[in-house]
Amino acid sequence: MSGDINVAVASFIDRLKRRQVSGSYQVSLETLQLLKRFVSAARWSGIDDLIAQLRELGLRLGKAQPTEFTCGNIIRRVLALIRDEVEEEAAQHNQQLQVTTEPMISSMFSLLQRPVAAPTTATTTSSQYHQNSPSTSSEHPKADMRQVIIQGIKDLIDEISNIDDSIQQIAIDLIHDREILLTPTPDSKTVLKFLIKARERNNRNFSVLVTEGFPNNTQVAHQFAKKLSEHGVETTVIPDTAVFALMSRVGKVIIGAKTVFTNGGTISSTAGVSSVCECAREFKTPVFAVAGLYKLSPLYPFDIEKFVEVGGSQRVLPNMETHRMGNHNRLDTVNPIADYVPPENIDIYITNIGGFAPSFIYRVVWDNYKQQDVNLGHTTKR
Amino acid sequence: MAGKKGKSSDKAGNNKLKNDVVPDERLQAIVLTDSFETRFMPLTAVKPRCLLPLANVPLIEYTLEFLAKAGASEVYLMCASHAEQMSEYIEQSKWNQPWSPFRVSTIMSLESRSVGDAMRDLDNRGIVTGDFILVSGDLVTNMEFDKALDFHRKRKAEDKDHIVTMCLSRASQLFRSRCHEPAAFILDKSNDKCLYYQDIPLENSKLKNAIAIDPELLEDVDEFKIRNDLVDCHVDICSPHVPAIFQENFDYQFLRRDFVKGVLTSDLLKKSIYAFITDDYAARVESWQTYDAISQDFIARWCYPMVLNSNLLDDQTYSYESEHIYKEKDVVLAQSCKIGKCTGIGSGSKIGEGTSIENSVIGRNCHIKENIVIKNSFIWDNVTIGSDSVVEHALVASNVSIGSGVVLMDGCVIGFNVSIDDNMTIPVGTRLSDTYVHKPVSQFLDSEPYSDDEVEESEANPDNALPALALVGANGVGYVYESDDAHDDDEDSSVVFNGTNALTHRFDDLYLSDNSISSMSAKHKKKRRSSTNSTAAANGRDDEYYEEDMDEDEDEEDFAAEAIATVERAMENNHDIDTALLELNTLRMSINVTYQEVRSATVVALLRRVYHFIATQTLGAKDALLKVFGQWGPLFKRQAFDQDEYVDLANLILEKTVAQRFEKPEFIVFTALTFLYDQDILDEDAVDAWWSQVSQDPKYDQAKVLIAKWIEWLRTADEQSSSEEGSEESDSE
Repeated sequence: MSGDINVAVASFIDRLKRRQVSGSYQVSLETLQLLKRFVSAARWSGIDDLIAQLRELGLRLGKAQPTEFTCGNIIRRVLALIRDEVEEEAAQHNQQLQVTTEPMISSMFSLLQRPVAAPTTATTTSSQYHQNSPSTSSEHPKADMRQVIIQGIKDLIDEISNIDDSIQQIAIDLIHDREILLTPTPDSKTVLKFLIKARERNNRNFSVLVTEGFPNNTQVAHQFAKKLSEHGVETTVIPDTAVFALMSRVGKVIIGAKTVFTNGGTISSTAGVSSVCECAREFKTPVFAVAGLYKLSPLYPFDIEKFVEVGGSQRVLPNMETHRMGNHNRLDTVNPIADYVPPENIDIYITNIGGFAPSFIYRVVWDNYKQQDVNLGHTTKR
Repeated sequence: MAGKKGKSSDKAGNNKLKNDVVPDERLQAIVLTDSFETRFMPLTAVKPRCLLPLANVPLIEYTLEFLAKAGASEVYLMCASHAEQMSEYIEQSKWNQPWSPFRVSTIMSLESRSVGDAMRDLDNRGIVTGDFILVSGDLVTNMEFDKALDFHRKRKAEDKDHIVTMCLSRASQLFRSRCHEPAAFILDKSNDKCLYYQDIPLENSKLKNAIAIDPELLEDVDEFKIRNDLVDCHVDICSPHVPAIFQENFDYQFLRRDFVKGVLTSDLLKKSIYAFITDDYAARVESWQTYDAISQDFIARWCYPMVLNSNLLDDQTYSYESEHIYKEKDVVLAQSCKIGKCTGIGSGSKIGEGTSIENSVIGRNCHIKENIVIKNSFIWDNVTIGSDSVVEHALVASNVSIGSGVVLMDGCVIGFNVSIDDNMTIPVGTRLSDTYVHKPVSQFLDSEPYSDDEVEESEANPDNALPALALVGANGVGYVYESDDAHDDDEDSSVVFNGTNALTHRFDDLYLSDNSISSMSAKHKKKRRSSTNSTAAANGRDDEYYEEDMDEDEDEEDFAAEAIATVERAMENNHDIDTALLELNTLRMSINVTYQEVRSATVVALLRRVYHFIATQTLGAKDALLKVFGQWGPLFKRQAFDQDEYVDLANLILEKTVAQRFEKPEFIVFTALTFLYDQDILDEDAVDAWWSQVSQDPKYDQAKVLIAKWIEWLRTADEQSSSEEGSEESDSE
């Protein structure tokens, strides 16, 4: 592989570590740009080789920023795309007209058109079945394959950059007139855009409660509220502690997801979301989570602690107070900056390809990812 | 990021955006890797301070990481002591890889002895092209530098004479990592322009705290504020004028005390300095105490997003667990061991059964055996600790092996490669090293302008160089390192020693205490101003040099009187030697006389003092001499540099003694010279050379009687002299 791409990869990793790239949206786009260059610059002997290289890249990116799952998601998406391509070819090559391969189409738009009750077991087993045989025998011209992959990446870029539009179209109808909404994730641009759209396009009158998100997101929350009110949405900023008291009046809770796991649980980018969702459950208030498809992760949250990032202490205890003298009983602070919301506290996920119940997320995940790419570290059976 | 424009320009739109923020200007950064201090002895005898690990990451990494975030495109490391180690490290680090966000190069500035020297060197090399960041290599911060840079640019647009922006971080009065050199900043309330700077003597030094501000400085200021709650983390954005100013004012040594104050009080420069005050975390690792504090803060995530589990080094694999526990992969923990809060453990380390660890950082490949208690401690790589030991608030450097049942008490520092036998107890505040580390010569010069690590490891002095077997045990390896503060502070107060620069908890009470620096400040204050003025005056005079010749003689006489007065004042008020030296030096420079004059003045002053003692019968001749020369003799070290000059010095002593009309001049000359000889100030060759000049000269025959015998003895008995020397030296102290 040429040195140039190595430099690009390493500097991207450095920037991830340094958090010069942050936010799933930006990370995903930059990862895709990097992948595009990577694929066009990479030299590979067989398609397996390319897959191995991509997996290794994914592993490195994942390590650079373990709580930023988007990198891994994107790479797994591209891997799935390659594997699908390989499979398709193999299917044609073998001239075995299997009916089951037909629904396996790389584009997820087909999903919407098809009834959702597709036989899941059939597809997964078939993909595994195919995986054993064909990839080794790929003698397909490389250049062609490269073109196909790059085209696939470009499609993904398009998909991600248009994600807000698709979500809006689905979500807008869910907001009713004179409804009170509550959003505990003021840093989600998707939520912001779709609220504004709902106001502008449907001309609905609704009011929004925004939690303050102390201490990490307070400023963001204020900005968020300001923007909303500028667009004519009736907005109220409330302290995080008032959520329970006000929940009885709230019609819907809208949260932005940072990562959605296979089990339907989600990591939100603000601490405190979990307690809001818990409150909502108590009051039987529906909780909507908005998430682009690229936020779906094939991982399962076995160890939640590992996935929740802990932020800086200075936010919790500002001004380096006097208590922090060097004795044994230092005042300690913990400041988680993300929160895990279990699937039972979320009613519906609104993605750019439609709304799904948390229990159905696994199905969407397996439509977009391959099982063998879940753990990029393992060099599993080929 | 601006550095790799070409390569990543197609990557994302925001890249270009960021490039706009730094408009076509390369942001240069100068890192002073040498602190020119000796606070981390004995460890810095082997390794430069910047490469000492803090939370298992070499200190320099924090600074470079900060610079990478700040968007620097060229980084120059000024190395003085251990420069080879520094450059070797940098060469192999990720910063030297093609994807490094900036170009890094090391500058060997071996002869630098202070920040001032380094800056002058920088100026000579002509590297600086535009505004640059000046940081020290031991900075730990998560400061948002963009804001500071914006501030700098904005102020610069308003004020053409703006040359430096100091980044200061707010802290409460007792904040632990607060600067070791407390200082008051006097700022204009409206725009944070720095009006005056004053370092503050420490609480427990006997000097009165007072700030004298020239009313002129406050002339056009409506409102000002005096702040001493600022942590000065030595991050400065400087314009290219700064090195030039250092060049012009060759007596500037310190960035703050000399430069900032000098610039602010100068009538001629008319430059201004602004202060940018940030709430972010920023601190320098400048003493054991700050090392302790910053390490703990870092572990407790006060420096987020720079945290241990962001794995600053490429090969690190830390992951975070609740209660601020960080573990690398391949850590082996026994089932019954307890890992408490705020702890980091490096890969390959093994923790035995029943061991409990809290608030500590353990390096890589450490072997911690059973039933050990480790609290508030720092254990570096490859350390073995035997069973049932107790390590409490101590620092154990790399490759140390500690036997079983050992107790390391509060504030111990165990140097590289030391080994400690079973069942030993190391008392509070001991510092051990594996080879004998000579007490830094600098202690009587100045603990600061002398570079850290240029300490000779003496083999000649076997008395002091005995391994501390009483501490490390029969099979142990280790020498005690005496704190250099002990000597400096004797005079001030004995309390200071305990508090100054140890790791001990006692700091908490005396925390604002510090070492020698404080003792200089009071006198310094006045002198500093006059010296800048006089330097300025001297510079001014240069232009009309020809008119000046006739004044010369007058000047010299002035100098003699002034210099003698200076030394006498220093002796009376018990200044430390650095102050005296500095004053003499400034005097010398301003009147432009040779070192010979300085020596002569010093000799006269010292002898007068001796005479005074004898005359008032406070002390006997010998005692008086030993006292005066013992304390002030080292002055000569900075006044004479080669053999001729030493010969001249000996001559002077002879002449002036006779001139002073002592009762027994021969005895005085003899004692003075032998003493200087014993102190290694005069060497044998010089004495020889001097004698061969003088012996033929009948002028001072009476005074030379004893000397003749001594010289005779010297020539014959080289061997013995060295051993006697040792004993005499101890007498004198």
